[in-house]
Amino acid sequence: MTLLAQSQLQETFELNIGPQHPATHGVLRVKVIMDGEYIVKAEPVLGYIHRMHEKMGENRTWNQFWPNLGRLDYLSAIAYNHGYAGLLERAMGIEVPERAEYIRVITVELNRLQSHLLWFGAFILDLGGFTPLMYAFDEREQILDLLESVTGSRLTYCYFRFGGVYNDVDDDFITGTRAFIKRLRPQIPMYHDLVTKNVILMERLVDIGHISADMCRKYGATGPVLRGSGVNFDIRKNEPYSVYPELDFDVPVYHECDSMARYMVRMDEMEQSMRIIEQALDKMPDGPVKAEKAPKILKPPKGDYHFAVEAARGTFSMRTVSDATNTSYRMRLRSPTYSNLSLFEEASRGMLLSDALAFMGSLDLVIPEMDR
Amino acid sequence: MLASEGLPPQKEVVEEVQAAEEGEVDPKAKKKEEEKPRENGLLETDYAKRGFHLDVQVNPDQVVRSAEILDSEGMTMEMVTGVDWLKDGQFEIVYDYSFTGGELFRVVVRCRVDREKPDVPTISEVFGGANWHERETWELFGINFVGHPQLERFLLPDDCDYYPLRKDFKL
Amino acid sequence: MGTESISGIETSVPSSIVQFHMLDQLRALARANSLWPMTFGLACCAIEMMSAGAARFDLSRFGAEVFRPSPRQADLMIVAGTVNKKMLEPVKILYDQMTEPKWVIAMGNCAISGGPFKFKGQYNVIEGVDSFLPVDVYVPGCPPRPEALIEGILELEEKITGTRRWPRVKPETAVKG
Repeated sequence: MTLLAQSQLQETFELNIGPQHPATHGVLRVKVIMDGEYIVKAEPVLGYIHRMHEKMGENRTWNQFWPNLGRLDYLSAIAYNHGYAGLLERAMGIEVPERAEYIRVITVELNRLQSHLLWFGAFILDLGGFTPLMYAFDEREQILDLLESVTGSRLTYCYFRFGGVYNDVDDDFITGTRAFIKRLRPQIPMYHDLVTKNVILMERLVDIGHISADMCRKYGATGPVLRGSGVNFDIRKNEPYSVYPELDFDVPVYHECDSMARYMVRMDEMEQSMRIIEQALDKMPDGPVKAEKAPKILKPPKGDYHFAVEAARGTFSMRTVSDATNTSYRMRLRSPTYSNLSLFEEASRGMLLSDALAFMGSLDLVIPEMDR
Repeated sequence: MLASEGLPPQKEVVEEVQAAEEGEVDPKAKKKEEEKPRENGLLETDYAKRGFHLDVQVNPDQVVRSAEILDSEGMTMEMVTGVDWLKDGQFEIVYDYSFTGGELFRVVVRCRVDREKPDVPTISEVFGGANWHERETWELFGINFVGHPQLERFLLPDDCDYYPLRKDFKL
Repeated sequence: MGTESISGIETSVPSSIVQFHMLDQLRALARANSLWPMTFGLACCAIEMMSAGAARFDLSRFGAEVFRPSPRQADLMIVAGTVNKKMLEPVKILYDQMTEPKWVIAMGNCAISGGPFKFKGQYNVIEGVDSFLPVDVYVPGCPPRPEALIEGILELEEKITGTRRWPRVKPETAVKG
């Protein structure tokens, strides 16, 4: 912190990054006060893609709100679907058929895989390597094909329903998914060979962007950011929902607290997601995919409800206040990157500007999810 | 400001509608009938039904103390939410706390403030992450977090003069 | 001499020695086949824009893969996502910073009309970028598939050159195939 003390005496200048900047992955703006190449203060400015999701939650009926869930975090849209389905199922006490739960888990994990793949490509692109993006997108398109065959859309999924899923998966999907996992599994070690051991990457990630576990707690950071700081926390394990307790998987945890740790957590999570999908495909029973007694008109009892899921970027939780009508009285969406980015100001103090952008990439930001 | 100008006439209408509804439906007899705003105190809730274990309502001046207690327990602040109870003439501020790591235990702390004078102390000194949440709640509801370091426009343009999530908001 | 030969000259040789028309055509052809879009992702549609540029869809087949982060190097602004009141000014500034000639594609329903975020009493979304930008091609969808964006770029090429260089895919054959 001698640097900060010095900066009081020296001349500083203000630098504006964004809202149109390739390294911010969207329309994030960061106001930075610089001392030479070093950051004195970096303040993110949000709101350039605020789309009134919470307001829409109040004036749409429960069913009409479904499409919004696909457009919040468009990279892990199915996990957000899961959060909303779980919320109302908790409020109304709807039982979900077991097959539907397995289909949910399979699609969520496929979605998580494509999210991490895209992050991998885009993150390395930020650091200057172009080729991994093409590899990652090649794999990602395979997942999108699979998901499109069951959900009907490529990106903004609206697949879940209260009490199940929209339609059943067919044999093509199951065999296709198995074939895809067989194809992706050897790719991940190849990515490690191609990218992870690269000296330039190590120089840019190791010991950069240190976030301690306590800072994560104070700011409410979750997901791979928290797990890269040595905290073993995953909603799928710590607050089990759906059929995750019946599946055997590990939570990758790294204790280095730097950007490299967050990178490694996500790479390892891909392997775990594949394990989950394989087990779920094996265990998936036959049966209906929608609850038969699911009510057509939804009026949850008065009171407030809370439900949390593990999305690709961390804990996504929803809190709704119901007044026993067909719309929500208040819909609060807690998106993970909102909290993850809020520690940026503190963590980036005294960092080189180029390191700060690499650090920002390691947080895996999706801006429309933050602004909501 | 703009939003509060249209307040008095609408408030009456909503009260009437709400009163009529409660007379007819009356879903949860005891809790809803006696009084609209709940008494301060501690309530254990059914996790399977609600999604949290403990529901605490406190006075606004106890909010910071509650945050300090939960902080010393090692909990994290998950989100801050505002709710506009137009019929009661009150705002409710809801704080969600949980453990990251360790056992599963979710605590909800809520407090109510008068709609005309919505002042509540900030907890951003205790939890840094509350800074953005409170700023957003101020922006969308107009709830004033006393002592907050930076109550400026956040998600909306700098020049807007309305609180969009208030129930009497009309553009 | 005589009217006959004059009319013959008129049809075969232009009235002026400097032939601007053909030069213009040539320039238009060159421009249409090397459109440089700006890296300008706003929301969900930006991911499909990335997909269009990446491995499978390979926008470089049509010369439009050179995404430029700086507006001063770009010819084409693909408005891929929702524009809200706070983003309105930056978008205008970006458009003004682009050098002539420049074109705009409104990608996705949000950019066309506000899309799913248009409802009664909404307070933050601009309902269509054509209210402040001259839009050349609209690509509907929420989000549009990468093929749709490529088709939009081909439409823009047709608009620039006046002729369609690539065959048009008929919906019937696409469904059967």
